[in-house]
Amino acid sequence: VNIKEYISSGIVESYVLGLADKAEREEFEQMCAKHAEVKAAREAFEIMLEQQLLADAAQAPATLRHLRQSIFAEIAQQKPSFKRIDTEARPSSAQVKLLPVGGWIKYLAAASVALLIVSIALNIYLFSQYKNFSSKYASLLASQSRMADNNKAMQTRLEQYGNTIAMFKDTNMAVIKMEGSRVPGNASPAPSSLATVLWDTRSKDVFLMVNNLPPPAAEHQYQLWAIVDGKTVDAGVFDMHDGNMMVRMKNIPRAQAFAVTLEKKGGNPTPQGKMYVLGSI
Amino acid sequence: LNNSVTYTEEQLVASLKQKDEKAFGYLYDHYSGALYNIVVQIVNDAELSNDILQDVFVNIWRKIDSYDPTKGRLFTWMLNITRNASIDVLRSKNYRNSQKNNSISDELNERGGISQLNTDLIGLRKILSKLKEDQRVLLELAYFKGYTHEEISELEKIPLGTVKTRIRNALIQLREYLK
Repeated sequence: VNIKEYISSGIVESYVLGLADKAEREEFEQMCAKHAEVKAAREAFEIMLEQQLLADAAQAPATLRHLRQSIFAEIAQQKPSFKRIDTEARPSSAQVKLLPVGGWIKYLAAASVALLIVSIALNIYLFSQYKNFSSKYASLLASQSRMADNNKAMQTRLEQYGNTIAMFKDTNMAVIKMEGSRVPGNASPAPSSLATVLWDTRSKDVFLMVNNLPPPAAEHQYQLWAIVDGKTVDAGVFDMHDGNMMVRMKNIPRAQAFAVTLEKKGGNPTPQGKMYVLGSI
Repeated sequence: LNNSVTYTEEQLVASLKQKDEKAFGYLYDHYSGALYNIVVQIVNDAELSNDILQDVFVNIWRKIDSYDPTKGRLFTWMLNITRNASIDVLRSKNYRNSQKNNSISDELNERGGISQLNTDLIGLRKILSKLKEDQRVLLELAYFKGYTHEEISELEKIPLGTVKTRIRNALIQLREYLK
């Protein structure tokens, strides 16, 4: 930096008159500390300005005498006065604030700022904990509800097994084995097929258990028939998706034999398809 | 000035830092007139100027410990306190409301230099009046109205860079007139 140019750039006057911004002030103060010429130039301008302003001060009004007394009265008071003219924030920073801040107020302010920071930190921490726990709670709820569903399904299945076993134990229940090998003329498409009918001799309810039947195509369904006095009576269609569990069929009051044929989906009033298994009482 | 004791600047500052009321009396007698002129040239109201000057001196008394001689002379420090306090008042809501009725004469003051208190022919304003009109207006806005360079740029519809250059040039010119 050329010192002469810097000095004659107007920065000296700008600084002394309070027109320099913060960066300019800081730079100028550093230059003053480093370069005696800059400091000398500043002092020269200060003295010129001071002399000019003091020379014109003779025109100040006589009321300043009265003011002297009130100023001395004010500074004589031990307590700092909070008399203050209403001000607004100015962009250029004032060198002196009119409102003095007492020592204990400073500590109080510092303490409350510290408390605020601690409180904010605690809030952030607690909030993150809360979020954490609330997502954990949600996943626990979901898994609890999954387990309840499973439990229900297991109970249903257990009940079915229980019922099945009870039927087999029941002495009033007639057990009719239907086999592929019993189909007349060895006409069963799957001679090794096997299914069992449980027929309640009191209520005449019919239950079917599939031991072994080939899975039917989607457009077909197996149909159970009761053979009554040489005629076939529809005992209902059944699906294989329940595995080998008991399926309740239609109530049949009287029969000499049971048979299963493969029919179109929904069944037929009289058997049209091939017979897979046959069993007589 | 009726006080027979005189101080060097160092002695005066040292005494003020020790809360010496006699030194403070000297300070008041010696500088109150010059500082009053600055206040009244900014706020243009004699009664308000007394209030501001009182605050200024009470603050000088209280804040003397924050005065740093390496940054400038005592008078420069007091001058800046005075100007800042006056401009704070000038730009406060209360002041602006109280001056609404005077907006026409205010405008005249800003532009033409007619003053209710006839303070144009003393101090800094006297020197400003010697400047070219465009320089005078910019220094008037910057020094006596306390506008930032950005505000002046907006107000006068002049680019910011031009505002800065013109103010610097005006200040260099002002220094010549002070000699």
